[in-house]
Amino acid sequence: MTTPDLILETRSLRRRFVTRKPLLGPPVEVRAVDGVDLRIRRGETFAIVGESGCGKSTLARMLVRLIEPSEGTVLFENRNITGLRGEEMRAMRRDLQFIFQDPFASLNPRMTVGALIEEPLRAHGLGGPDERRARVAELLERVGLLPQHADRYPHEFSGGQRQRIGIARALACAPKLVIADEPVSALDVSIQAQVVNLLQDLKDEFALTLIIIAHDLAVIRHMADRVGVMYLGQLVEVADTDTLFTHPRHPYTEALISAIPVPRVGVKPPAHGLQGEPPNPIAPPAGCRFHPRCPYATELCRSTPPPLTRLAAGASVACHHAPDLSLQGLNDTGTGRSPAAERRFALYRAMREQREGQTLPVPPEPEI
Amino acid sequence: MVSGAHMTESTPLLQVTDLSIRFAGVPGNLVDGVSLTLNAGETLCVVGESGCGKSLTALALMGLLPMPPARRMSGQAIFEGQDLFDMPLEALKDIRGNRMAMIFQEPMTSLNPAIKVGEQIAEAVRRHKGVNREQARARALEMLRRVRIPAPEKRLDEYPHQMSGGMRQRAMIAMALANDPALLIADEPTTALDVTVQAQVLDLMRTLQRETNAALIMITHDLGVVAEMADTVVVMYAGRIVEAGPVRKVFEDPQHPYTIGLMSSMPDLGPRGGRLVTIPGVVPPADAMPEGCRFAARCPFAGADCAAAPPLRDLGDRHRVACWRAPLEFGAPDLAAHPAAQGAAS
Repeated sequence: MTTPDLILETRSLRRRFVTRKPLLGPPVEVRAVDGVDLRIRRGETFAIVGESGCGKSTLARMLVRLIEPSEGTVLFENRNITGLRGEEMRAMRRDLQFIFQDPFASLNPRMTVGALIEEPLRAHGLGGPDERRARVAELLERVGLLPQHADRYPHEFSGGQRQRIGIARALACAPKLVIADEPVSALDVSIQAQVVNLLQDLKDEFALTLIIIAHDLAVIRHMADRVGVMYLGQLVEVADTDTLFTHPRHPYTEALISAIPVPRVGVKPPAHGLQGEPPNPIAPPAGCRFHPRCPYATELCRSTPPPLTRLAAGASVACHHAPDLSLQGLNDTGTGRSPAAERRFALYRAMREQREGQTLPVPPEPEI
Repeated sequence: MVSGAHMTESTPLLQVTDLSIRFAGVPGNLVDGVSLTLNAGETLCVVGESGCGKSLTALALMGLLPMPPARRMSGQAIFEGQDLFDMPLEALKDIRGNRMAMIFQEPMTSLNPAIKVGEQIAEAVRRHKGVNREQARARALEMLRRVRIPAPEKRLDEYPHQMSGGMRQRAMIAMALANDPALLIADEPTTALDVTVQAQVLDLMRTLQRETNAALIMITHDLGVVAEMADTVVVMYAGRIVEAGPVRKVFEDPQHPYTIGLMSSMPDLGPRGGRLVTIPGVVPPADAMPEGCRFAARCPFAGADCAAAPPLRDLGDRHRVACWRAPLEFGAPDLAAHPAAQGAAS
């Protein structure tokens, strides 16, 4: 058996935040990430999914040390990066890039787009001024913008275009691993699809490993090779995408999947949703953290936390009852679309291909 | 004959005719000629992307558009026999929060942060029902119970910031429904919520609607939510209705290229496969709306005739579309031979 080529690994990664320091007694802490072991393979798209407050964004930021872990290690290409300082860490950051959710908040409004994309090149001392300018123009075109956009400011662009700028900036110094925190959730549906396609193309072209943090399960199903599901600071299930969606092994995964509104009429009875709300991460429940909301919970679950147990290569689950449960996933038999809808979709696709064959491979965006 | 069948039904709860909204300094109408019909107990979903005019339409119905800068150019909205656009503000205030109510995407911005949740609900009841403090408070408690907020007695005396997002949205729904309105307008009510909480809130809205027979106008960008909730759908693009009809018709027999593009832009939940078929480009800016079909610049089927605005035609069964090319098979006959169309048709 060959061991997969791991690009990034975390071991018992933990992060605590102090939420309150009472006058007497110990400070009140929230364990945002509480012992996560990730194994990311080179070249894969790995998605981390979970609801608000599950710690997914904290985890993502620890992977590039935008937030320092309280405990545990992050190994990038088998090297522990948690202790790196100064110049060493700066060099490491060239290989590890981050795309933020909000393209309105993550670009400095006082810098031109050209300067924003050039900044990482300058920071890493890559190329002379002319080379850098040429590289900026190339990157702009690659993400579907125009070279002359380099002289404009972020506020002159729409949300989708700003996210393209953020992507160009992340790719500027040819990283090996890109972590994207909710890269499309702030965008409209049609723009979201453009950015999803762009990320997939760039991943192939630049031979990237991609970690996406998302709450939209449809986007994850479309983009990811493997998925890790988080609940209250811990991984509860890791599996390849198709298996996870069709045969979930953790009751929380099942609940997430059944809650997705499916964009077809009458294919699935409407979900009722889980009982209750995510508990307070400051005082997580004893035993399995999901047990108060879990329809399958037993006495064992109330007392003993289940370990994350390996099921197969690259798949694991943290549930005492996983071997006995038969959980419901998405039904894959047929797409459920009517022949008329299918015909129109095909026509639309054909017409787009025909038109684009005559014009440009990337549709030009209108001048602003 | 189809319309004849509907003539025998009682008059609709809400009938919006030719609503157009313009803003100072913008040459085109931001909402342009929108007409809607809604019956008691029915759910109408308005779907479209940012700037399509779906929220403006809802705000206009509630009389909440800031005028100026907004100006209503034309239109009627007959609700329970009265024109909402042609009544004194005092009369509208008696209807609003009483016969019709609205819930918003972010309850934190529409609940008063300085007033306890129970008092806010009670205030809405006292304004319209002429009851005393105790009766209003009892009604508020009953409403919190009906929206399934745990420990409602305790929650009555909490402030909005003490509740989670899902709880706040429930409290908003409780307030909106406190006076048994005939019409509820919900603007992206679950967009800010997590998926499992969204499922709870949608389930709650369906249940309450069954109990009260209120009609619901739900504004959303999520076609999944539309498929689960709607009886009828209106698809809007750049201020105009491009397609409308019973939900099954629109999903199973989509006619407008924008509807089709929107559906194919959404990642399918089926097995993974290839690239998403996107809609190229972006929505035209408000100050540069084209005269003709507003989708033409992004439409793969567009031709010279699209420079004239297509009317919203009825294809039968209340399914309406505004496209010169619909049905597309006949509008683009040369495509039958295209390999992509052949492959998928088989």
